[in-house]
Amino acid sequence: MKTEWGDHPSGADAFDLTGKRALVVGADRPAGRAIALAFAEAGASVAVSSTTNDGEDMFRAKKVRDEIAATFAASGRHSIAVGTDVTLGAGVQVMVRQVAKDLGGIDVLVNAPDLFLGKPAADTTDIEFNRIMQVNLAGTFHACRAVGKEMLKQDTGGRIINVASVLGERGLSNAAAYCAAQAGVLNLTRALAQEWGPHNITVNAIAQGWMEYTPAIGDPNPEANQTVRFVPMKRAGKAEEVAPLALYLASDATGYISGQVLFVDGGLTTHL
Amino acid sequence: MTLERFHLDGKVAIVTGAGRGLGRQMSLALAHAGADIVCAARSLDQIERTAADIRALGRRAVAHTTDVRDSAACDALIRRAVDEFGRLDVMLSNAGIGDMRSAGREIWDIEDDAWRDTLEVNLSSAFYCARAASKVMVEQGHGGAIINVASGTATRAYTLDIGYGSAKAGVIAMTKTLSAMLVRHNIRVNAIIPGYVQQAPADNERSAIFAQTRGKYLPVQRLGEAWELGPLAIYLASDASSYVTGQGFAIDGAGLAGGLAPTSFAPNVPLP
Repeated sequence: MKTEWGDHPSGADAFDLTGKRALVVGADRPAGRAIALAFAEAGASVAVSSTTNDGEDMFRAKKVRDEIAATFAASGRHSIAVGTDVTLGAGVQVMVRQVAKDLGGIDVLVNAPDLFLGKPAADTTDIEFNRIMQVNLAGTFHACRAVGKEMLKQDTGGRIINVASVLGERGLSNAAAYCAAQAGVLNLTRALAQEWGPHNITVNAIAQGWMEYTPAIGDPNPEANQTVRFVPMKRAGKAEEVAPLALYLASDATGYISGQVLFVDGGLTTHL
Repeated sequence: MTLERFHLDGKVAIVTGAGRGLGRQMSLALAHAGADIVCAARSLDQIERTAADIRALGRRAVAHTTDVRDSAACDALIRRAVDEFGRLDVMLSNAGIGDMRSAGREIWDIEDDAWRDTLEVNLSSAFYCARAASKVMVEQGHGGAIINVASGTATRAYTLDIGYGSAKAGVIAMTKTLSAMLVRHNIRVNAIIPGYVQQAPADNERSAIFAQTRGKYLPVQRLGEAWELGPLAIYLASDASSYVTGQGFAIDGAGLAGGLAPTSFAPNVPLP
C-alpha cells in the first residue's frame, strides 16, 4: 500500500512469505508443525527438522514435510525434512549448512524443540536436569548460532523466532528444570537481539501458555482440569493460534520488533 | 487458513488520533485488511484525508472530530460508529501526546493543569473509549478487540515528561485489568508499546539528523517508521491473535530488551 512512507507491505498481504527460505527446528512438536505449515501456506520454502534423532521425532518431522509437500503441489518450492539432534552443536551446524545449501540460504529460523519434565526438584537427577537444559536451551542456542552465522554471511538480515513457554517468565512447582531452561531461552532471545540487531536480524520469542498439547496439562476439559480453570479464557490454546504470531514475526513487516517475548496464553500471565 | 485469520472483512474499527502519525498508518492498515473505519481526532482536515485514503482502498470511512479528554464525546464517538456502520469490533485508542509545558522541567515547576491534562489525554481517554466501546461490544454479543497504545517510556525512567510516562504506565496496567474483566465477553484487550518511532518521514535536515543520530543508539540502528505499526494493529485486531489478551507488544528496535537506559542506549561492547 502506498502512503507517505512509500510502498510498504500492508493488509493481509503484509504476512506473505513468498520467496523466503525458512528452517523450522522441532517441527515434530505441535507448535513447530503448525508454524511450518503456516509458512508453507504463506509462500515460503520450508525445511523442517526433528528435535532429536529419536525414531518417533524423526518420523513425525518427516510427516510434517509430507504435509507441506502436499500443499506445495508443483509450485516449484522446496520442502526438506532433516533429522537432527538439537543437543549436539556440531550436528546442528552440519544440518544447517546442508539446509542453507539446499534452499540457497536461510531467511527465517524457528526454534520449537520442547521437552518437559514434571518432577519435584528434590528428586530431579543430574541427568534429567541436563537433558532438559540441553534440549530446550542449548538446542535453541545451537540452531541460533548456526543459522546466525549463515545470516551474517548472507548479509540480507533475517528473522529468528524462538518458541518458548510462560514458564520462562513464571515459576511452577515440580517443573524447576523446565522453568530454568525456558527462562534461558527468553534471555538468550533478548541478548541475540542486541548482538544481531545491527545486521537487521530480529530475534523474538513466543511464550506459549497452557496449550492443548502441553504435557503438564492433562485433561483439556476445563471442568475436569485444574490448570485450565485458571486461564482467563477458560480453555487451552491451539497450535493454530501460535502460528499466526510466528508468521507475523517472520514477515517483512516486523523489522522494528526485536528482543521481545510475546505471550500467547489466553491472558494467563496477567493474573495476580 | 493461517493468512485468513488476519482478515478484517466486515469488521468496524474506531481509531483515535487517526489524522497523522501512527494512528493514520494503523487506520490505513486496518482498512487494507478489510475493516471499515471511524477516524477520530481533533483536527477535521487531517482525519478527512485519512478517511479519503481509506475510501480509495474500497472501504467505508467517516471522519469524526472529537476531544477524547471529554467522556461524553467518547460516548458520542462510539455511538457514531454504530450509527454509521451498524456495529463495532475494534477500538484502537491511539490518541495521546506529550505535554510541552512539562518537558524537561523540574518536578516542582510542573503545574497541576499540565499534569492533569497529560493524564487525561493519554490515560483517561483510553478508559472512556474502552468503557463505551466494551458496553456496545457486550450488547452486540460477538466479542471484540480493544487495542491501547502505550509507550516504552512507561517501563523505564523518562525524565523528559514525568506525566507522559506515568499515564502510559497506567495504560499498560489498565490493559491487563480490563483484559481480565472483559474476557468472559470474548473481548480481548492488548497494548502496543512503541519505542522511538518516527511519526512522519523526515522532511528537513534537522529531523533527518535526529532520526539518524537517535537511531544509532538502538540495536537495530534506526528509528521505527509509523507504517510499521500497521501490521501489528492488524494482528491484534484480528482472529490471528485469538489466544492473546492482556499483553503489551513492544515495537522498539530491541531497545527495551537491552534495557540499560530508557528505550535503550545499550552499547555494543567492542571486543579487545
